[in-house]
Amino acid sequence: MSALFKPWTNTAFRLVLFGLALLFAGGLIAGPMIYVRSPLYTQQQDPIDQPVQFDHRHHVGDEGIDCRYCHASVEKSNFAGIPSTAVCLNCHSQIWNKSPKLAPVRESFFSDRPIVWNKVNKLPHFVYFNHSIHVKQGVGCVTCHGRIDQMAQVEKWAPLTMGWCLDCHRNPERYLRPREEVTSMTFTPGGEKEQLALGERLKEEYRVATRQSCTTCHR
Amino acid sequence: MAISVAARLAARRALEPLPLLEGDQDDGTLNKTLLGYVWRRPGKGWLLLVGLGLTGTALLTVAVVITVAKGIGMWGNNIPVAWAFGIINFVWWIGIGHAGTLISAILLLFQQKWRTSINRFAEAMTLFAVLQAALFPVLHTGRPWFAIYWLFPYPSTNRIWPQFKSPLMWDVFAVSTYFITSLLFWYLGLIPDLAALRDSSSKRWMRRVYGIMSFGWRGSARHWHHYKIAYLLLAGLATPLVLSVHTIVSYDFAVSIVPGWHETIFPPYFVAGAVFSGFAMVMTLMVPARRFLRLKHVVTPRHLEAMCKIMLTTSLIVGYGYLMEHFISWYSGNAADFYQYANRRGILHGPFKSAAQDPYIPIFWLMVFCNVVVPSIFWTKWGRTNVYVMWFASILINVGMWCERFVIVVISLHRDYLPSSWTIYKPTWVDLSLLFGTICFFSTLFLLFLKFLPAVAVQEVKELRHELDTEHERHELPEFSQEAIHPMELEVGEEDEQEEKLR
Amino acid sequence: MPSLKLPIVQAHGDERAQWRSLEERRRGIAAEGEFPPGAAEVGTTSRREFVQLLGATVAFAGTAGCFKIPGEQILPYTRQPEEIVPGRPLHYATSMTLGGRATGLLVTAHEGRPTKVEGNPEHPSSLGATGLFEQASILQLYDPNRAAVLQQNGRPRSWREFLAVQHDRALALRRKDGGAGLRFLLEPGTSPLVADLRARIRTLFPNARFRSYSAVSNDGVARGAQLAFGTVLDTQFDLSKARVIACLEADPLHPWPGSIPAMRAWADKREPGPEMNRLYAVECALSVTGMNSDHRLRIRPSQLAPIALALAAKVGSGQGLLAPLTPVAAKVRLDEKQQRFVDVLAADLRAAGRAGVVIAGPRTSPLVQALAHAINTALASEAARHRKSALHDPDDGAAGLRELATEIRSGTVDTLVVTAVNPVHTAPYDLNLATAFDAVPNSIYRGLYEDETSKRCAWFVPATHPLEEWGDARAHDGTVTFVQPLLQPLLNGITEAQILSAFLGEGDKSPYAMLREYWRSARNDADAAWEKWISDGFIAGTATAPESPQVRMEAVAAAALAARFEVPAGALELNVVPDYRLYDGRFANDVWLQETPDPVTKLTWGNAALMSPATARQLGVDTRDVIDIGLHGPPVHAPVLVIPGHADGAVTVSLGYGRGGAEQNAGGIGFDVAPLRRVDAPWGGSGLTVTKLGRRQPLAITQEHWSMEARDPALDMDLHDFEGRGRERIEDARAPVATMHTPWDYSKVQYKWGMAIDLSRCTGCSACMVACQSENNIPVVGKGNVEKSREMHWLRLDRYFSGSEDDPRAIAQPMLCVHCETAPCEYVCPVNATVHSDEGLNEMVYNRCIGTRYCSNNCPYKVRRFNYFNYTYDVTDLEKLRMNPDVTVRSRGVMEKCTYCVQRIERARIDSRVQERPIAEKEVQTACQQACPSRAIVFGNLHDKQHEVTKKHADERHYYVLNDLGTRPRTAYLARVRNPNPKLT
Repeated sequence: MSALFKPWTNTAFRLVLFGLALLFAGGLIAGPMIYVRSPLYTQQQDPIDQPVQFDHRHHVGDEGIDCRYCHASVEKSNFAGIPSTAVCLNCHSQIWNKSPKLAPVRESFFSDRPIVWNKVNKLPHFVYFNHSIHVKQGVGCVTCHGRIDQMAQVEKWAPLTMGWCLDCHRNPERYLRPREEVTSMTFTPGGEKEQLALGERLKEEYRVATRQSCTTCHR
Repeated sequence: MAISVAARLAARRALEPLPLLEGDQDDGTLNKTLLGYVWRRPGKGWLLLVGLGLTGTALLTVAVVITVAKGIGMWGNNIPVAWAFGIINFVWWIGIGHAGTLISAILLLFQQKWRTSINRFAEAMTLFAVLQAALFPVLHTGRPWFAIYWLFPYPSTNRIWPQFKSPLMWDVFAVSTYFITSLLFWYLGLIPDLAALRDSSSKRWMRRVYGIMSFGWRGSARHWHHYKIAYLLLAGLATPLVLSVHTIVSYDFAVSIVPGWHETIFPPYFVAGAVFSGFAMVMTLMVPARRFLRLKHVVTPRHLEAMCKIMLTTSLIVGYGYLMEHFISWYSGNAADFYQYANRRGILHGPFKSAAQDPYIPIFWLMVFCNVVVPSIFWTKWGRTNVYVMWFASILINVGMWCERFVIVVISLHRDYLPSSWTIYKPTWVDLSLLFGTICFFSTLFLLFLKFLPAVAVQEVKELRHELDTEHERHELPEFSQEAIHPMELEVGEEDEQEEKLR
Repeated sequence: MPSLKLPIVQAHGDERAQWRSLEERRRGIAAEGEFPPGAAEVGTTSRREFVQLLGATVAFAGTAGCFKIPGEQILPYTRQPEEIVPGRPLHYATSMTLGGRATGLLVTAHEGRPTKVEGNPEHPSSLGATGLFEQASILQLYDPNRAAVLQQNGRPRSWREFLAVQHDRALALRRKDGGAGLRFLLEPGTSPLVADLRARIRTLFPNARFRSYSAVSNDGVARGAQLAFGTVLDTQFDLSKARVIACLEADPLHPWPGSIPAMRAWADKREPGPEMNRLYAVECALSVTGMNSDHRLRIRPSQLAPIALALAAKVGSGQGLLAPLTPVAAKVRLDEKQQRFVDVLAADLRAAGRAGVVIAGPRTSPLVQALAHAINTALASEAARHRKSALHDPDDGAAGLRELATEIRSGTVDTLVVTAVNPVHTAPYDLNLATAFDAVPNSIYRGLYEDETSKRCAWFVPATHPLEEWGDARAHDGTVTFVQPLLQPLLNGITEAQILSAFLGEGDKSPYAMLREYWRSARNDADAAWEKWISDGFIAGTATAPESPQVRMEAVAAAALAARFEVPAGALELNVVPDYRLYDGRFANDVWLQETPDPVTKLTWGNAALMSPATARQLGVDTRDVIDIGLHGPPVHAPVLVIPGHADGAVTVSLGYGRGGAEQNAGGIGFDVAPLRRVDAPWGGSGLTVTKLGRRQPLAITQEHWSMEARDPALDMDLHDFEGRGRERIEDARAPVATMHTPWDYSKVQYKWGMAIDLSRCTGCSACMVACQSENNIPVVGKGNVEKSREMHWLRLDRYFSGSEDDPRAIAQPMLCVHCETAPCEYVCPVNATVHSDEGLNEMVYNRCIGTRYCSNNCPYKVRRFNYFNYTYDVTDLEKLRMNPDVTVRSRGVMEKCTYCVQRIERARIDSRVQERPIAEKEVQTACQQACPSRAIVFGNLHDKQHEVTKKHADERHYYVLNDLGTRPRTAYLARVRNPNPKLT
């Protein structure tokens, strides 16, 4: 009777076994681990549409308005604050007060209905982040939010994973800057070495004691 | 003075009282008898049993789905009894899963001839039992969907690792290692038989299937050479696992500070208990199987008796464990510990009368009856040779071992340190269907195994027969060796004389 | 169900997000709200649902972990109120009135929604503490069952329509006969504003009549004072002046309205030593006060009067003011035990002199009250303070209702305005008030819920919650206190003042306007001081001046002579008490209170017929047996609960259950005791009939086991023992235990958090439990799950009995996570979900927890709680407003436990560091500590040598529970020391 299997089946069989092994290692282990680190999952670098075409490049970059003018509670509260409609109209009641682009703002003001902005930097709901303390200890806006002054539409800049947070909490000196430079988009101490030197100094000066206990962020 | 022939005879008898193979067998007859039933059409009884099994399995699915979807609240668990059926079933099944490796690996290393006819059987049993057990560790967690991947150590974006101090962590590794090793071991043993099936099967597609499953085994000397080495290596690898797995399972309890858990005696006592229940389960399955599959000639009373002896031994160890626990609880003078065991026994005095109505007392005594009293029947030759006796005994032992886990898990928890939180645990229908369902699932798998795979390691049996024959021809055995004459032919009186001489 | 969408609520994406948990997203399963919070059957699966579940499980298995983060919105203000900084809570002073007594509160609001109630430290009747009722009121504010619609015979009406109709009708009545057909039945009140409105209504309707009614009435006190002094006076007790305290059916150690100062004063004098006070209790059912007494005499209710009389005679011993009682007391027959107790107590009182005081509870007969007044006057007790009662109608008992009912039946009543809480349910059955109300042509009921009374009234007006209204009231000492709203009425509530003003034809006047106008007219400094008054929450120095009235001894003696004491021997007696948790039933829908265990019986979700073991044996019943109890009326089905320390031959039942209103959670819980009450005997009587029904009924009891089984978690000793062998017991319980762990090093960190709980101060009132529940978003699990002992309280009160079953020694012990330094829970968690912080907190990380429950098994204190179900998944939007945004709401399958209120620590830490200063001593208070009326709990930084907690950790009474396990708890307990009278021991 004819042989049950042709010789090539041996090779095929080995390949299949090898393939299965690969599939397991890659598909179940490596794959997901890469995925959760990729922008696909972290949603970095995808600009988010807003009800009003607000351009930070113009307001921050050209006009040089300080972040705290609009995000007023950043030094007092955990929440940096989204400006109330009234704040927009402080200027825009005078300038561009007829611009169709600003129609939603005027509409909101006169109908007393809030403008519904879309959240860009989303943290899981069990994470308690506090802006005031970070600003106080000399963490720059840029450090987490990137060059807002160069974003037409604001996008998530940092991955905001726990590992990313711990990175700074474990060695803050790499990121600290003088308090007066916190809102600066362009501040740089120079190279790596200068930053470390500056960081170490500020760590002493501001008595920075970053905490890594779980309840610092999870309560 | 030189030991007389009669003395040697007596000694030999004492060692090998019953034949390993009955009747005059050759490879052909063995093939026919041991592989034949695979080709037979499934019988009504088999179909009925599988049907029942599948029904039970469906119930299991229901219970699992509800647990995952609704939460552990569907079980009877509470605070302080936060572990109950989930863990009991886990430990029970994992314990049952011990006989397999023990028989295949350790007995192989000790070159116990009698293991050959039952090892395949036992390994399969192990595999399916561990499968049941593996269901629980994840299922019993509150958020299984996280447990699935948080328990494994890999660099996560959270930069946290699992906590290697926790016995539960060790469990994850112990159980998975055990399962994989048993699987390999079992399959490796199957390969030659699968080849035999391939060759003896009539339909081409079947030949192909068995062909693929047997990895192109041709039985060449080279194959056999590699095969033997691999098998021995795996045996060596599996041996420590027999001890490690249940030792680690016992740590789940021993490492804690719960009175009734926090005990140094747990590892040996758990391993013994595991082997105990494992053999009991093999027995429970083997006795009917050897009848209905007509395997009496390979699974002889000799095998059964050997198993009875092992059960007897382990039951003694377990019994000793019980005794020790209660002794130490009194000897240590620790109030919580003393109360714990007094409460189990239901024998209380002084300020502790209040617990005399503990509803779980009968379970404790049932455990003692099943695990200590019942096995002592194996002291008698009658008990060791009467299949009905040993079958019922083995079933009772399985029940007893389940009770033991109930006693350890539930009774300990429901009477821990602060009396203010003491309460009573009642299982819900979900709990019960989980227990019943796993039993059904287990039986289903086993029935399928019996139908589609050789339940006896044919090639090993052939080998054994061969060994025996050669030994016989070379007159390494005296002509009155176990293969030549049936010991039953000797009358008792003569034996006694020999005893005299020996002394 | 009304769901509320104020922009202000959603104003704040981050905050709003925080009261949700990650798993809520996985709510795909069982999305239809099958079980309301507190429903008995949490976790039953319908067949329909099961099909969904199958799908869901697949989803679980597949998509676990790898989902996209869904989109969220931020809704900023259009015009931001300048006082609001999103993310920073604000605190407002207001108050809550119960039984006419206001307790000053400080309420925390996040973005305009009140989330937590605390006591107002400046306010005389709060002193910074709160009771259960105040704490739980926040839940009532957001109760989705609250009535929202003004109705006439079930048809929705507008407030304006109501005003129009009532005004015309009122005018007609007035023209007819000066409003003879106009009747008001009000909740007992002390509000100056309401008083003014009443006066003005009287001038308009000279023949109208006002009455007040409450089931927990004050009339006994009023009558007693009338008898003793010839005038109605209200008596408070300043226990800081008392060394010997005798309580006759009085319960000053539970935070009933106005009794917080008494608790504080009592606790302050429990330090072991010569100055330590001594408490005697004479009562039927074991009360919180009884649990804390140094000596307790259990008696049937009928025996109280004779004992009081004997006591008075004995104290007087023939001379002085009490002399006239000696002959009368001759007719009193006491058994030997009682006689001995009375003799010793009398001697002790006489010895104490001005530092002795007798307190007669509000439920006791006028005679007993009068005798107590007589004794106090004879002793010239400094503790008893008599003041003119601030209540509008001090006689607010059932007697008033009877008059009203007869008037109605005689057909003279045309318009009846009811603001009293649910009289139809609480009124004694012999009044048959329901049918009476039906007979009123124009009946108006204002209530928080559509309850039994609203069904019987033509008009129903939804009431405002105290946190929604402008108003005023008087504290227990008469201090004028203001009620300030924290938010607009959520559900169109109307205040009592508004209803009354409707009859003045003042049209639709805002409550604020009314209040402002009244005070402008009442006090000329109003305009200047208004801001201060409102921000303080009260007007300092407006307490009523104490009086020192003369006791009319002959009248008291005459009453005593007239009184008949003998009761048919062997007759079973009934003892009705207000409920520790539901008061008179007005809180029946408040699931926090429903699930808070009774401080004495540990019973939740219902009431029971309490009786002593002896009585139970005699009746052949046991706990959970259902019996029929009757007293001259239809019998009621009640489950038995045998409780040590109860008087033999008596059965105690509590008010407030068996509700039949629209309240979802109250329905079908417990039994209604109204059929057992009569107008002339509202608090019970003798001749109770009991028949066993042969059924059993599950009771949701959180602690089944009474004994400490020789483990002594709660050390409790007598003073002389404490000076002797007891000290060794304490020292053993804090002796260092060898450990193999290398101890943590806390020297580097700035803070080392720790707690101390003083068992001598703790009365077991359970206010801390509710406070904790409110602060930490702790879910309610429902009756069924409590029966399965799955309650979620992070802080529980263990109650142990020792000694004899009949006269046990009871002790309450707050038990919460003690934050072990070598914590058994930490090393068994496979995923690092519970770990140790650098400052010594034992942290619980919900989002990391997979729920193996091993930590709970290994916790010797069993303070860890497991979410067996998703208890919060069907919380309505309205209820969500209540949640504390600083605390994660836990999902199903997650372990949780006390965190030492870490959210408060972290807030304080960040604030202090932003201001570049260390955390101040009182800056971090745990919720339980803040609520505790007797200041039994102290929390703080153990590195701070000056801090109270550090001192307590060095106190000679401090020890650690289960010390020999070597867990090294951060919570130290201070052993309870009692001060029994050597002559009685």
